[in-house]
Amino acid sequence: MSVERLRGLLEQAFPDSPELSVDDRTGGGDHFQVTVTSTRFDGLPLLEQHRLVNEALAAPLADGTIHELRIKTKGTQ
Amino acid sequence: MTELREQIENVIASEEVALFMKGTPQFVMCGNSMRALEALRRAGAPVTAVDVLPDPRIRQELSAVSSWPTIPQVFVRGELLGGADIVEELAQSGELEQTLTNKLGPDYRGAAAERVVAVT
Repeated sequence: MSVERLRGLLEQAFPDSPELSVDDRTGGGDHFQVTVTSTRFDGLPLLEQHRLVNEALAAPLADGTIHELRIKTKGTQ
Repeated sequence: MTELREQIENVIASEEVALFMKGTPQFVMCGNSMRALEALRRAGAPVTAVDVLPDPRIRQELSAVSSWPTIPQVFVRGELLGGADIVEELAQSGELEQTLTNKLGPDYRGAAAERVVAVT
């Protein structure tokens, strides 16, 4: 999976994000580090913040396209 | 033989700290499982580990129960705490030890040895 496609899925889910980065950790297109800042995270526990990211990437997580995902989320407050 | 899902639910419900991981604490098969295990160890958590690798159905059933797509998964007293990133972040901020103290009591450290249980 390309960084661009993954980034596109995150941008759809977090259109307001002032900071959104995707790093292909191994260059193999299946180990990613994503960092997302969004108002959607404001006031949510970390677990629910990560749930929103997992939901945005549900398809590639479910079919194994993403083998390993590291998530860093930040609210805007 | 109890159904697989029921066994998984039993582990989540009955173990103080349940870690569903790839491999075992003695032979970890994945970097994220290692990160979660080490964060829990540093916090002194009484970890009960379940290896999801022997059968792909373990992971499928677990994710159906928890609504969490990835491995590892950490539960404290029946409640999903999160995956490796969350556990590491909570450990760094001190919240992990606070959560363990709140849920397991102030003497949770050393209360139980690290162990492994199998689900089949």
